[in-house]
Amino acid sequence: MVSLVRAELRKLLGLPTAWVGLVLGTLMAPAVVLLNAPYTRRAITAGTLTDTSDLGLRDLGIGLIGPMVLGVVVVSSEYTSTSQNAPGARQLTATLTAVPDRLRLLLAKTTALVLIVAAQAAVTAAATLTLTQVLHGEHAPVPAPARVAAAILYWTLTALLAYAITLITRNGIVPLALLIINSTVVSVSFLLSKVTDLAAYLPDIVGTRMFIRGTDFPVEIAPVTAGLVMTAWVAVLLAVGAVLFHRRDV
Amino acid sequence: MITIDRVSKTKSRTLILHDVTFEARPGRVTGFLGPNGAGKTSTLRILLGLDRPQSGTALICGRPYGKLDRPLTTVGALLDGSGAHRARTARAHLRWVAASNGLPDSRADEVLEVVGLTGDARKRAGRFSLGMSRRLGLATALLGDPEVLVLDEPVNGLDPVGIRWMRTFLRDSAAQGRTVLLSSHLMGELAEIADDVIVIDKGRIVIQGRLADVTGDHHTLEDAFFALTAAEADRPW
Repeated sequence: MVSLVRAELRKLLGLPTAWVGLVLGTLMAPAVVLLNAPYTRRAITAGTLTDTSDLGLRDLGIGLIGPMVLGVVVVSSEYTSTSQNAPGARQLTATLTAVPDRLRLLLAKTTALVLIVAAQAAVTAAATLTLTQVLHGEHAPVPAPARVAAAILYWTLTALLAYAITLITRNGIVPLALLIINSTVVSVSFLLSKVTDLAAYLPDIVGTRMFIRGTDFPVEIAPVTAGLVMTAWVAVLLAVGAVLFHRRDV
Repeated sequence: MITIDRVSKTKSRTLILHDVTFEARPGRVTGFLGPNGAGKTSTLRILLGLDRPQSGTALICGRPYGKLDRPLTTVGALLDGSGAHRARTARAHLRWVAASNGLPDSRADEVLEVVGLTGDARKRAGRFSLGMSRRLGLATALLGDPEVLVLDEPVNGLDPVGIRWMRTFLRDSAAQGRTVLLSSHLMGELAEIADDVIVIDKGRIVIQGRLADVTGDHHTLEDAFFALTAAEADRPW
């Protein structure tokens, strides 16, 4: 199993797109904290920003593009055509001839993805929160370690969500567009939450309740409950993806 | 040793393989011959565990592909394309494949040398010509120094030098005791290298046996093929 995970780590880290996800995801949150610093300072001084308990942690959201790209590309790279000469040829053929046990393969892929994203999340959280302390230390309390751990878990689960959806769609473009638009331009989940309180249990919204304390949520959900709900979403989608992957002809 | 036993497969409600049964034996080159769409690739994909049959078994050295431990050390497979992601260099591709089967990194450079791609080790697979892709695919198949080779249309896209090289390579492999199974729709090509021939048409095995027996009283394997499959050889195209 160790050699399988090593092979999957190599495979993922050998893709330029994966590096786009790694670099963007790691740098964006600290960059936003830095760029927003003058505005944040003015807001605190003017008294318009009184609840500073989420400062730093809230900024992590922008970096989620990293885990999303990584989660998608780890699967979609298997399905992209390897050459114009052979449109039906894909890396998946090489993957499955090397590792025919599909469930073991998925286990190795999942492990590789979790290792990379958790490391990325830890580095990003450390950088973002340290920067927040340096810039706004006197106003922003240091977040409890449990909240930071929850933020890292949120990143990891988001990557797994993207991964599971791509396993089902077998194509990276749809899930990536959907996830990125939903997390940046127009949040469909957020809009839905204006219609029904149930939308608060959608995976991307409920997940943030693990570590964000802000009060602009329609439903009160305890952090542990939030974590369990998001994990359940990921587990169900992963199970569907795994069953399809196991059954399908390549 | 490859044993295919009564393999049938339906795709989109069409029977594409019907009771396909044959063997490929060690020390021999077995040619799997048939027109495009006859079921050659489908049979090989089932043999390699990529697709699933409705019934029947396909075994390599007595075991289904999926039950082989570190399969690359038993079987080397060459299917359509190289199997390498466009963005990966030839060496990077070979190294992850090697790692997945517990093979050392050094195997990557060794097989690149065998197929004559040493100078292109750092080139991205997306920039490879068709012929180079086939060579990279073959290099991948050779990583585990397997005793069985399964190749789907291996000479497709190769230039005359490449074809000659492939022919020699496959003959040498069989001479060393390996089981070599290759599919082709090129009858002339198969007649040059195969010891045994299996002819498939519309998902059914039409005839199988030693090359001389299959050719029989016909002038060439091609004549025999058209006589056996009753294909319309006189079609204007």
